[in-house]
Amino acid sequence: MNWPSIFAIVRRDLTVVARAKAVMIPLVVLPIVLFVGLPLLVSFGLDAAGSELEDLLPLIEALPESIRAHLGDGDLLEQAQAYLLEYQLATFFLIVPLMVCSVIAADSFAGEKERKTLESLLYTPTTDRELYFAKLLGPWVAALVVTLASYGLYLAVCNLVLAGSIGRPVALTPLWFTVVLWLSPGVAALGLSVLVVVSSRVRGFQEAYQAGGVLVLPVVALVAAQFAGLLFVDTAMAVLLGAATWVVALGVMALGFGLFRRERLLERI
Amino acid sequence: MADAALHVRGVTRRFGDVTALDDVGFGVEYGQVVGLLGHNGAGKTTTIRLLNGLLAPHAGEVRTMGLDPVTDGAEVRRHTGVLTETPSLDDRMDAWEAMRFWAAMWGVPKDAVESRVRDLLERFQLADRAGDRIGGYSRGMRQRLALARTLLHDPPLLFLDEPTAALDPVAARDVRSLVRTLAAEDRRTVLICTHNLVEAQELCDRVVILRRGRVLADGTTAEVIGAAAVPVALLLEVEDEQAAEARRIAADFGDVRRVEGGRIHVDGVTRHRLPRLVASLVDAGVAVYRVAPEEPSLEAAYLSLYEKGAEE
Repeated sequence: MNWPSIFAIVRRDLTVVARAKAVMIPLVVLPIVLFVGLPLLVSFGLDAAGSELEDLLPLIEALPESIRAHLGDGDLLEQAQAYLLEYQLATFFLIVPLMVCSVIAADSFAGEKERKTLESLLYTPTTDRELYFAKLLGPWVAALVVTLASYGLYLAVCNLVLAGSIGRPVALTPLWFTVVLWLSPGVAALGLSVLVVVSSRVRGFQEAYQAGGVLVLPVVALVAAQFAGLLFVDTAMAVLLGAATWVVALGVMALGFGLFRRERLLERI
Repeated sequence: MADAALHVRGVTRRFGDVTALDDVGFGVEYGQVVGLLGHNGAGKTTTIRLLNGLLAPHAGEVRTMGLDPVTDGAEVRRHTGVLTETPSLDDRMDAWEAMRFWAAMWGVPKDAVESRVRDLLERFQLADRAGDRIGGYSRGMRQRLALARTLLHDPPLLFLDEPTAALDPVAARDVRSLVRTLAAEDRRTVLICTHNLVEAQELCDRVVILRRGRVLADGTTAEVIGAAAVPVALLLEVEDEQAAEARRIAADFGDVRRVEGGRIHVDGVTRHRLPRLVASLVDAGVAVYRVAPEEPSLEAAYLSLYEKGAEE
């Protein structure tokens, strides 16, 4: 592997992405909406719910014992806040790496084709594998950075702005560490491995971005299932989900390595 | 073949049902400047892509500097510089950033990057705007920057796809001068794809004309012009009193356009019939003082070959 070339492509891709408003706006807005707006809404919404808070009782009672034990002995308001902020939003968190990946990967290949910058890259002495790897690595690094920044933002909002509402530090749990450091990078890798293939087969950024949007659906389904009480993601499940995600991601990547050809990209320029 | 910079033999390349190249063959020696000519869709860009390992042929053999681009594509591209038909530059970068990026891609030694980039930006008159985003550049500036990129890693083999297409006359002249310097002084091999036949005639040692993926002609410009048998315009000067006789004879060889005393202007005489025309005049006792055929241009030869190709 020619690492200097790979790093040069990653650096270049991230530099040009950072200068594109159409790409950067969703990357900035989404974490703010999800990890500043949503916890504030949850917290103040529950506060203002009054007697309607009782509607959440069946959900809390249906939780596995391992989760209920972690919610503490506080009143229903405290338990509901703890559940939503510590468990429910943890699955929401997976939307961030997927979103970052889909935006950047779409810009990285399909966007390059649209801007007619891809051909000169294909004439460089990189191999197909190096090119494929570089195009995976850039968005993955960006997804990791945005994920960590989002987590930092979420910690700040929950533990500084909403301090004391639960009576203990929020989101500093094995579940969150697993989601942020294990599951999210895996989800990003899986999303990317699919998106780079999709992105290399379409002609423009919008087309690739829209195709990438489909990838968010499994995460939305996971969030919905958890809201409906069909499924509860605890640390053990997050570890297993992460492992499964990584296995599939590495499989799709290996497939991508085998299928990725300059020739196919050129046919669509 | 081992000594050829480029070797293409019996190459066929298809895209779906369309045959872009059909049994194409030609060679380029080291240090030569060769023009690859043809209408849009003739197969010029496909040929460059094949020679750089971006595409694989469906049949035939391709060698670039003795290497097989299909199996050694990265190594081939390490030694080639390609000016693509569109400049292929990112609007969101400035010239310095773009050149540093390309330098990293071609493994230019780190301690040489700054000076080499500065030299090239100055050579292509971009140094003053090197810190500006490329999105604000004119077409000519983009083309110059793309040319600078092509030379960044000092490649011995250059592929220039329409190098002067977007340039003003002065910049185009500078590029032609640069190509001459690159070939003559630096001994680089250059393959130029161009629609500008005057430029091709001026720069190229040889030309290869492609038509619908097939080689229509291959040789020096003189050979191609000769092979095209292009009719030329001709000025004959004979004794004034013999002009009528000379006109009658000349009419058998071409179209007599004008007669002014003993000066006869004849159009459409093919080059290989000229000696017979002169012999006929001399046999008829006409005193011939001057025979001045206009030199046919590569453009005329190209159009003639294309028309003949279309008829076939």
